[in-house]
Amino acid sequence: QETRVSGVVTSRSDAQRVPGVVVTVKGTNRGTQTDADGKFSIAAGPTDTLRFSFIGYTTVEQVAGNGKALNVALESAESKLNEVVVTALGISREKRSLGYAVQELKSKDIAEARESNLVNALAGKIAGVTVTNSQGNLGSSRIIIRGETSIAGNNQPLFIIDGIPVDNSQLGIGTGRDFANAIADVNPDDIESLNVLKGPNAAALYGSRASAGVLVIKTKTGRGAKGLGITVNSSASVESLLVLPSFQNVYGQGSGGQFSYVDGKGGGLNDGVDESWGPKMDGRLIPQFFSNGEAVPFVPHPNNVKDFYETGSTFNNGVSVAGSNDKLDYRFSFNNTKQSGILPNTGITRNSFAVNTTYRIAPKLTLSTYANYVKAEADNLPGVDGRRGNSVTLQFIWFGRQVDTRLLRNYKNPDGTDFNWNHSYYSNPYWIQNENTVGQQRNRFFGNARLSYEITDWLSANLRVGTDTYNDRRKYKVAYYTNGTPYGSYTEDAYAVTETNTEFTLNAKKKLNTDFSVDGLIGGNIRNNQYENNYQQAPRLAVKGVYTLNNSRDPLISTNYFSRLRVYSTFASAQVGFRDYAFLNLTARNDWSSTLPAGNNSYFYPSVNASVVLSDALHIQSRVLSQLKIRGGWAQVGKDTDPYQLVNTYPFGQPFDNNPLLTVNDKFLKKDLKPEITKATEVGLEASFFDNRIRTDVTYYSSSSYNQILLADVSATTGNLKKLLNAGKINNHGVEVTLGVTPVSTASGFRWDVNLNYAKNISKVVELDKEGFLNDYVLGSSGNMQVLASKGKRYGALYGKAYKRDDQGRILVNASGAPVIDDNKKVLGYYTPKWTGSINNAFSFKGFSLSFLIDTRQGGSIWSGTNYTGIYTGVLAASLPGRDEEHGGLPYYYAGNNQQSKPVQLENHTAAAPNGETVYHDGIIFNGVTADGKQNDAILPAQRYYKAVYSSSLNESSVYSASFIKLREVKLGYALPQELAHRWGLQDVNITVTARNLWYIDKKVPNIDPETAFNTGNGQGLETLQIPTVRSLGLNLKVSF
Amino acid sequence: CQKELEKINRNPNESETVQPDYLLTNGIKTNVDTYWGNDAAFETSLLYVQYWAKIQYTDPDRYIPAATSIQTVWNNFYAQGVEDFTTLAALGDSLNNPNYKAVAIIMRSWIFQVLTDLYGDVPYKQTADIEKYLTPQYDNQRDIYLGLLAELKTAAGLINTSADGIAGDILLRGDLLKWKKFANSLRLRIALRIADQEFDAAKAVFDEIGADNSNLIASNDENVKLNYLASPNQNPVAKNRETRNDYRISKSVVDKLNALNDPRLTIYAAMPRDTNKIIGVTNGLPTDSASRLGFNKTSDVGAVFTAASAPAVLFSYAELLFIKAEAAQRGLLAGEDAATLYAAAVTASLKQYGVSDAAVATYLLQPSVVYNAANYKQSIGDQKWLALFGDGLAGFAEWRRLDYPKLPAAYTGVLGGKSPLRLTYPSSEQALNGVNYKAAVAHQGADQLITRLWFDKE
Repeated sequence: QETRVSGVVTSRSDAQRVPGVVVTVKGTNRGTQTDADGKFSIAAGPTDTLRFSFIGYTTVEQVAGNGKALNVALESAESKLNEVVVTALGISREKRSLGYAVQELKSKDIAEARESNLVNALAGKIAGVTVTNSQGNLGSSRIIIRGETSIAGNNQPLFIIDGIPVDNSQLGIGTGRDFANAIADVNPDDIESLNVLKGPNAAALYGSRASAGVLVIKTKTGRGAKGLGITVNSSASVESLLVLPSFQNVYGQGSGGQFSYVDGKGGGLNDGVDESWGPKMDGRLIPQFFSNGEAVPFVPHPNNVKDFYETGSTFNNGVSVAGSNDKLDYRFSFNNTKQSGILPNTGITRNSFAVNTTYRIAPKLTLSTYANYVKAEADNLPGVDGRRGNSVTLQFIWFGRQVDTRLLRNYKNPDGTDFNWNHSYYSNPYWIQNENTVGQQRNRFFGNARLSYEITDWLSANLRVGTDTYNDRRKYKVAYYTNGTPYGSYTEDAYAVTETNTEFTLNAKKKLNTDFSVDGLIGGNIRNNQYENNYQQAPRLAVKGVYTLNNSRDPLISTNYFSRLRVYSTFASAQVGFRDYAFLNLTARNDWSSTLPAGNNSYFYPSVNASVVLSDALHIQSRVLSQLKIRGGWAQVGKDTDPYQLVNTYPFGQPFDNNPLLTVNDKFLKKDLKPEITKATEVGLEASFFDNRIRTDVTYYSSSSYNQILLADVSATTGNLKKLLNAGKINNHGVEVTLGVTPVSTASGFRWDVNLNYAKNISKVVELDKEGFLNDYVLGSSGNMQVLASKGKRYGALYGKAYKRDDQGRILVNASGAPVIDDNKKVLGYYTPKWTGSINNAFSFKGFSLSFLIDTRQGGSIWSGTNYTGIYTGVLAASLPGRDEEHGGLPYYYAGNNQQSKPVQLENHTAAAPNGETVYHDGIIFNGVTADGKQNDAILPAQRYYKAVYSSSLNESSVYSASFIKLREVKLGYALPQELAHRWGLQDVNITVTARNLWYIDKKVPNIDPETAFNTGNGQGLETLQIPTVRSLGLNLKVSF
Repeated sequence: CQKELEKINRNPNESETVQPDYLLTNGIKTNVDTYWGNDAAFETSLLYVQYWAKIQYTDPDRYIPAATSIQTVWNNFYAQGVEDFTTLAALGDSLNNPNYKAVAIIMRSWIFQVLTDLYGDVPYKQTADIEKYLTPQYDNQRDIYLGLLAELKTAAGLINTSADGIAGDILLRGDLLKWKKFANSLRLRIALRIADQEFDAAKAVFDEIGADNSNLIASNDENVKLNYLASPNQNPVAKNRETRNDYRISKSVVDKLNALNDPRLTIYAAMPRDTNKIIGVTNGLPTDSASRLGFNKTSDVGAVFTAASAPAVLFSYAELLFIKAEAAQRGLLAGEDAATLYAAAVTASLKQYGVSDAAVATYLLQPSVVYNAANYKQSIGDQKWLALFGDGLAGFAEWRRLDYPKLPAAYTGVLGGKSPLRLTYPSSEQALNGVNYKAAVAHQGADQLITRLWFDKE
């Protein structure tokens, strides 16, 4: 017979009562939760087993007994093998049973980082994860796990939220604006936990999209809500420039030392020139852009670029209401994020609403739903690349150092044209920011509904339907009179993206006897993706100031693209456990993808992994060795491709004189495509020592991806520019180590934790095409600089123009003393790092906590457009050495003052030229040798020297080491004592001060942030005058009622 | 289920089939755009042959061409030109319309002629067949010119004015006889191009078709040209001038026109905004000296070239007459008088630009213009250079072959006082077609601007 069993649940570590612990009677669907005081009461028979589970704690099972008070103390699951983690397909597993590495972030780690782009919150926190930062504070970020496994395809992991894939595309790459990647829509406050499944071994059940890893996000539910269940979260942060180039403030605009302004486009003396090789800014009188022809003092404005940038801000306000009873758990949240960028007139506002419910309809039937609506609106986003209509960063690197940008704020002349320092190439930067705007509006819904039915106590059926759908509209305005676009233009670019998944699973979990247990599932999934892009442009406006597509002088330029794909899948997984210390996991999946041809479109992939908790199996637990586990596995995953890669088609052109145009496609497709295959093995060891005071996890993995689908560049002489190949092969292997140490943990509550992550990945491009014709696959490029996957080499080679050297490696110079450029391009570095690591120190005492995270990336190179351009144009401080006597320049003259003749060096700065010629003091001798091996002694004027060495036709001089050590994050938190909070009628009060991207402890590349992202594609390692990255400082307040 | 998957993967965005007329329009438009546009003309050939000069961003005028320019010329002519016309030739066969096939071969031959003029040895026989040749071999320039002569002969023979016509012909409005004339005129152009090296082969062509004027371009009305329209189908020069201000007429051409009292001066050059004197710009000035000249004090090229609807001329009657004049002079063409043909050629050029008969007559009488058989290269070289003004690629080829007019190298050129004699291969060929690229360089000489091509015999 059943009686009521009641008791109190506490936390073993601090003896605090734990509310919200789920208490169930095993084998039934009866359940309850502990109340605010940690108390519970449930009907159960004396022999029934009660199960106490709560996130963050080890699940405990106890026999109900004879009705006495049942008090349970829960063990914190932190860094214990008993910890429950969410694995592929949302299956919860004890960490001890997994045959692969898994690393988790908790809500606290993510929410307190207060990054507006979720991806950034992972930087430095997970071994093997590389995050490339956003430009400014509004842009995109790229995340890569364990290196690139696909030569040409998407290498970013799949994001799963509550079992449903959520899109993380960056649409419209190359349109001049850095639109945030789509996962930035997710509100960090809604995240309960984030698990990183690092590769095929962990993610094989996700099949096609698992080769780059998976981020499994579980959202917060109403379960365990305390008090009124209301939580208010409010934060504010300010963002300022982390790295601004170091400019010179000695010489102003011009060329050859001369400048005088008339019309800013060549009417005056070098006034069309956008470089700073002009006169010394020593107060001499020169007509300037603001002086109406009057000669006024030519003086420096050292902060003219800095003045232009503003302090960005992020305000984040959220409220959530959660509750729970025996029928229903619910959580509703609203979040408003308002960001303003570091460039004037930029910003984005994002509102998100989420509802998460679990409704126990009947004893065996549960319905869970999760729905999230996000609306993101931006009136103007910052421009990123070197386009005249967009980018202001370009203008500051091609600049007159004397320009006072404050004078440019009133950017419009009475006649509607722009007021600017230059009219050859630029419009006023404030004009660009205020008139040439790019707006974005995105409406997004993602969510799912899940119905679970417990058929028996060991078998359940689940049906889940989920979708992620959004519309993303961008509006590009270019105003009349904009330089290069006298009539302006207007463009609308609209995307509609939808993915739906319908998944059915049968889950079984049974203890067969005292030794063996089985936990498995079989299921199927149907995935449908739909993508649509409509692009329309009025290339020249008819009337100024009206931005509609009808307002056009010319026929509209329009394109649209629609695609669909479908994948059918069946899958099965099983875990066999032996005495709770040895586990064997098997998975199998088969996909049928619409993107591959009949005959090749079905592909199967299995995985197997095992783990043994040796410390339990061999009973070798001791004071020193707390736990020891070994694990290993093998997996194979397949990957399909994009839609429409099989049949060649003929694109349309713009009609000519009423004649339609059709052309042969640049791309040659492949009728008999096969799926890409990745095979991966992984072994690892997890151990903890001294009562878990030292915890370590070591992983070695290797993967080989072949039959890669590559849209490879081919010689245009084939008649095509690209050919779809099905041959590439890339191998990766590497090591990941995590180490956690708790040097101090006192009875008084002081605790110091140190967490280290280390990861090294080695990649090798083995093959590009079967026949071996191709040696290089182009991942990205900027001018002469290319990023390649080159056969036999590491992924991500920076390939460009190099110095010509002699046998001894000395740089050759030509007759005039300038370096000679090699006819053949060379590999100048690799963007992929050799290793990455981080160290986090966390201190806590009573309610206080302090942590700081330092991370590093070592090895890897970056080509810097800011450096080469800024030296070429003479605006950077790096162009000062040699420019005059004071800066180490050498004296010389031209015989007969003929500037076309070779400069003749003088002994010293006071020496006169033989025939009274003008003496110059800006001579530099390039350190190189002549063709016959003699040390170069030919002198070059500084301007010619820097233009020869730092030019677009010589890349080697602008390739730098991308290594860095960064103070990534500092957090100081205070939690009000619960006693005090309760007295005020509150549950929890937390205040956190967070600083992100604080300081470069060390970096090799001057003037830029080596972490800057080009975009989220594979062509990284190119810095092309991007918007500077930011450091942020924020305050976060969280109050629960 | 399988059927459903296949249905889903049908591309709804682009056509799976192609119509010959649409392909023809595209082939003409895109390749003439390339021929007359930024990369093959403004930034390279027009500067090298000193028709134009740069007043901003002067590097290309100092013989530092942008990598993208070289790449674009190559990519466009092969992937849009050779590929589209090879496809059209095949369509002509499958549709049993020999006229499409003939037109396709003529256009493709014209593109190959331009390519080999510019680069020297280039892939020819193994092109536009990607399934067979992923890395096409380079052919010797000699073999290419000889191959083109044969192809053009075949194409001219294929034209059948009584068979089905062609549509989409924005170049010659479907006039098949004009296509035949274009093909034959191209044969004469190529024959003369190789005459220094392969005299007999050249002579055979002139012997065959040189005398039959009814099958050659016979008046300015028959000039092969694309008449551009208003935006967005405007002339590439007009499109450039809408937003940029980088180019001026070269001082070399202004000096020559002035020296000859040439009535084409005020047609070829525009008046600067701030002066009433035509001033050309020296080629190859450093950026600072160039911009110091003043954008409003120097002359752009004339409105005849910068207007939206200005034509791009692929073959003019004047050029044909210059070809015949030189052929007559050199014994390639029997029974005709070089001096007469020369005078007719100069007349045709002046008339092409609307110069009055009286002015033409005055001009022809000048001793500096009168034909000099003793130095025919100078007479023909100078006048052909002036006649081809605006057509950078044709002018560049003829100037290299004839070695007249004598043009100084760019003022601060980077080739050690020399002028370019070709374009370098695009750097993509090193990466994507490396073995064949190396073989071509080994055969032709270093991959540099100053490497002399086969046809350009010293």
